[in-house]
Amino acid sequence: MSPYILFVMLSSLGLGTTLTFTSSHWLLAWMGLEINTLAIIPLMTNKHHPRAVEAATKYFLTQAAAAAILLFASIYNAWYSGQWFIQDMSSPVSTLMTLAIAIKLGIAPMHFWLPEVMQGISISTGLILVTWQKLAPLALLMQISHNIKPELLIILGLMSTIIGGWGGLNQTQIRKIMAYSSIAHLGWIISILHFMPALAMINLFIYLIMTITMFMTFNLLNSPTINTLAMNWSKSPILAATSALALLSLGGLPPLTGFMPKWLIIQELTNQELAPTATLLALSALLSLFFYLRLSYSLSLTIMPNTHPQTLNWNMKTTTPLPLSLMMMMTLTMLPITPTIISLF
Amino acid sequence: MVMMIVFSVMFLISLIAVASNPSPYFAALGLMIGAGVGCGMLTQFGMTFLSMILFLIYLGGMLVVFAYSAALAAEPYPSAWGSLEVFSYVVGYLMLVVVMWMLLVNDFGAFDEIEGCVMSVRRYVGVSEMYNAGGYMLLVAGWVLLVALLVVLELTRGFGRGCLRAV
Repeated sequence: MSPYILFVMLSSLGLGTTLTFTSSHWLLAWMGLEINTLAIIPLMTNKHHPRAVEAATKYFLTQAAAAAILLFASIYNAWYSGQWFIQDMSSPVSTLMTLAIAIKLGIAPMHFWLPEVMQGISISTGLILVTWQKLAPLALLMQISHNIKPELLIILGLMSTIIGGWGGLNQTQIRKIMAYSSIAHLGWIISILHFMPALAMINLFIYLIMTITMFMTFNLLNSPTINTLAMNWSKSPILAATSALALLSLGGLPPLTGFMPKWLIIQELTNQELAPTATLLALSALLSLFFYLRLSYSLSLTIMPNTHPQTLNWNMKTTTPLPLSLMMMMTLTMLPITPTIISLF
Repeated sequence: MVMMIVFSVMFLISLIAVASNPSPYFAALGLMIGAGVGCGMLTQFGMTFLSMILFLIYLGGMLVVFAYSAALAAEPYPSAWGSLEVFSYVVGYLMLVVVMWMLLVNDFGAFDEIEGCVMSVRRYVGVSEMYNAGGYMLLVAGWVLLVALLVVLELTRGFGRGCLRAV
């Protein structure tokens, strides 16, 4: 893509999210979301093959429908309460607003577009989709979280974790697996949103770090399916070793970082007298853990711990890029500084 | 009052004509009629400027573009409102309207305001506020229009992807 066009699209992506972050008027927040949708479409169709075009079309249709519902709900709110202030949303239409934002985020049962869109685009565009595009709708959701009925968020969260776990079990393509992992993690984020938005932000922060790690790893290793993961130990032994652990961190195993948000969320839900919900969330995390375990098995557990007859690749890169090293380190070792991270939010 | 009822009924009929899923040409016809009488309804409420803007931009801009793209997807046997699959939708929606009318309509309060309607200037200050307090929003809107142009350009870039269909 021409560098000028790429610059315009990426800066419009930044503009859209920043606009939604900093706005207190519903119309401006909607504008930011639409700018994001518009700007990512050419990034998706960068390699112009029919799968990518289909993915971009599906993405555009779902996001446009969700934005239209959002606009309708905000206009109803303006008519009902006479003002456009985001945080004072107290009309009966907050449910509709939540569902519109849930479509934008890919929360079950409105998640059907996400695996297909993720499969059609390149993995670096998938990274933008799963990290940056989630920030703006989540900012809106956090601002109206105290006005939404908590039952809605709990039900959406439970459905997302369960569907994210179950849906990923039958996949062999890495991008679809990461899409279902995104659905499951979003479920954890929104289930705690009504009770303690700070915990939702912590979970979002940790999830962003872990998912950036995994996407950058898969981008470097260039393997689209589980089968090809087994060849990666010769491309980069350090990545094969650490990304196996990073996948377990995504699954939420102690003593890795991914355990921190799950632990805190379960504790907070139990404090709010929602222990069965917490149990169901924890059990559905087992489903996700299974397919992460399958990925890490393919990555590193298929080699005998002896000296291997095969040599490493002749063109192996000897240095891992700095952002990936940073994210990988944060994915694996941040659990002991949990109190610091809690104090930040 | 009579005009308002006529406009509302025609609006409903045109929306049913669009939603009953005919071929795009016919749906566009329904949309044109709907937008036309919708503008008429706005005029009845006194918002003449808004109605003109709606007519120009919606019909003169968006619908023209839609007509060009529908012309690309022309089919030899279009399904209009006489064909069975569309007509069943029309009947279904009409029954829905009748049922909802009998259940929900208690009074015609919305129409009572129109008789003796005076142009209340207070309500239209909001439109000019868009140029005053919302000036930076217009700047962003202008940037977004440029981005939309670049997006369309990028999506249709390349050999054989940018032209209308040769058939």
